[in-house]
Amino acid sequence: MASLSLKHIEKVYENGYHAVSDFNLEIEDKEFIIFVGPSGCGKSTTLRMIAGLEDISSGEFLIDGVKMNDVEPKDRDIAMVFQSYALYPHMTVRDNMGFALKLRKVPQEEINKKVDEAAKILNLEKFLDRKPKALSGGQRQRVAMGRAIVRNPKVFLMDEPLSNLDAKLRVQMRTEISKLHEKLGTTIIYVTHDQTEAMTLGTRIVVMKDGIVQQINTPDHLYNKPCNLFVAGFIGSPQMNFMDAVVEVKGSDAFLHIGENTLKVPDDKKSVLIDGGYDGKTVVLGIRPENIKDDPDFLAANADSQIKSTIGVKEQLGAEVFLYFDVNGAQTIARVEPDTPLKTGSDATFALDMKKIHLFDKDTELNLLYQE
Amino acid sequence: MQRNTMAYKSRQFLTFAGPALILFCMTIIVPFIYGLYLTFTSWDGVSAEKPFVGVANYVSAFKDAYFWAAVGRTIIYSIFAVILVNLVAFLLAYMVTSGVRGQNFFRAGFFIPNLIGGIVLGYVWKFVFNRAFVAIGNKITGGETPSLLSTTGGAMFCLILVSVWQYAGYMMLIYVAGFMSVSDSLKEAAMIDGCTPSQAMRNVTIPLMRTSFTTCIFLSITRCFVVYDVNLSLTKGEPFFSSVMAAMHVYNKAFTYKDYGTGQAEALILFIICAIIGITQVYVSKKGEVEA
Repeated sequence: MASLSLKHIEKVYENGYHAVSDFNLEIEDKEFIIFVGPSGCGKSTTLRMIAGLEDISSGEFLIDGVKMNDVEPKDRDIAMVFQSYALYPHMTVRDNMGFALKLRKVPQEEINKKVDEAAKILNLEKFLDRKPKALSGGQRQRVAMGRAIVRNPKVFLMDEPLSNLDAKLRVQMRTEISKLHEKLGTTIIYVTHDQTEAMTLGTRIVVMKDGIVQQINTPDHLYNKPCNLFVAGFIGSPQMNFMDAVVEVKGSDAFLHIGENTLKVPDDKKSVLIDGGYDGKTVVLGIRPENIKDDPDFLAANADSQIKSTIGVKEQLGAEVFLYFDVNGAQTIARVEPDTPLKTGSDATFALDMKKIHLFDKDTELNLLYQE
Repeated sequence: MQRNTMAYKSRQFLTFAGPALILFCMTIIVPFIYGLYLTFTSWDGVSAEKPFVGVANYVSAFKDAYFWAAVGRTIIYSIFAVILVNLVAFLLAYMVTSGVRGQNFFRAGFFIPNLIGGIVLGYVWKFVFNRAFVAIGNKITGGETPSLLSTTGGAMFCLILVSVWQYAGYMMLIYVAGFMSVSDSLKEAAMIDGCTPSQAMRNVTIPLMRTSFTTCIFLSITRCFVVYDVNLSLTKGEPFFSSVMAAMHVYNKAFTYKDYGTGQAEALILFIICAIIGITQVYVSKKGEVEA
């Protein structure tokens, strides 16, 4: 097990494309770190630089304090699970799992013992003599994990390991990986573009966009305190609602006008608008779907934070209901209780939980209410 | 329309496969059967009569020491040529897939000899061996240097060298396809598992290129066994018949010595030897093939 340190890591390709810019991260022993972001954000490139499969253009990468920039992948003591699993098709499951140990000239008996142990953990005992072609997607994925486990490496790297699986299997394997992390206590760096995977697996998440780290923190922190508009929109499903709102300061109070709707900004949030000179300016109001409510008691208690609209679409998901409606041109989603009387086409009044709102500067896209 | 009737299926089959089937029968099957028939005659290749002689042609073919010497020579030539062609082709393919600058230019360049006909190639190399190399040899030694083609061992060496030059570029393309079919993630997985480049090549890349090896070895064996054009234009079987390959012997027997029946019987024997070796090789190689 190990701690990793990435200091001012940059990746610039020969054609001048800047894939990763000034990446800084300290990873503690046994952490489960997730790199998340849209396609082309540099998350896989960063992982490949850690693996040694890509050169680091500048900056320092250390494992347990030892600089690894120029160390060959095989000498970094890392294991990697690839998106395509990268199982050797001409080898049996046993040979695939034991290959790295064989190369290190570990005695065959010990290899067999370790492979059997890993197979037991991953429920692969029945498939040890099969070739990868004769396995299902989920089984192949487990073999790829097993290949990493038997080596007992300092760090596990996983590059979108679940993206080739169907939705049900993905959920199942997500749990398996989580259990495995608990059991083995290894340092894991996991790349995904699926924010649900990121939220459920990671102890810390690194959100990236265009090669630049946007925010690094725990899933809970990222969800509740996103530092900018991108992180707020990327983390959470359905994503956070955004509406343009014009600020009006009246005396010691601040109000937000969204079309014909007026919302009173709570006392603990109004100072950033008043002191920041936002009177008369447009900011972006962000609110999560579950913080837009339609129950009568909440509406009665929050008369100064209501919005009116007409329901466009109602999605009945069993345990919850998603209501889609338009607020001053912005598509908005509310996540409400399944017994809501609202239907498609009906006029509705919602109240926003103003304690949970986020306010973003329209130009810089930074969260005005953000605190570390 | 009744799509499952026999008449419909037959019509569909004949529409699509018919033209190719007719051509295949006319150019391969009919000549083959006719040739088989001729092995039982003492036809001289010219006269209208084709007297039936039973298996006499086969008996004389099996007793023909020159034929078996030519077959032996062909086997020796094939062993060296097949090994060298594939070795050179594999190394060239490795080079032109390793990301060297101008690799597409090299791919095209190495393939060009295959586009030149065997006869032309033979004459070009004959000039090189008889004139260019001799002139260089004379310059270096200061005396008279004999042409490699004028010695018995030298002629065979030249034949092998030209065959390698001719076929390596073609086989290289098949190996290039093989190299490219091995996914980068497998090579990267091997690197992370602890392979050195040579270990990755031995343990991962080569086993996954078995299909390429099967194809290339089969093609080179069959081509070498029936080599004729280069043999004719480069050495003409000389000196002292030391470079007469089986196909040339068969040709001479049938058309030069007008013993068409025996020549045809020897051609059939050569075909059977070639088929046995080729099929065995493909069977053995195919057994261990996996999809990359």
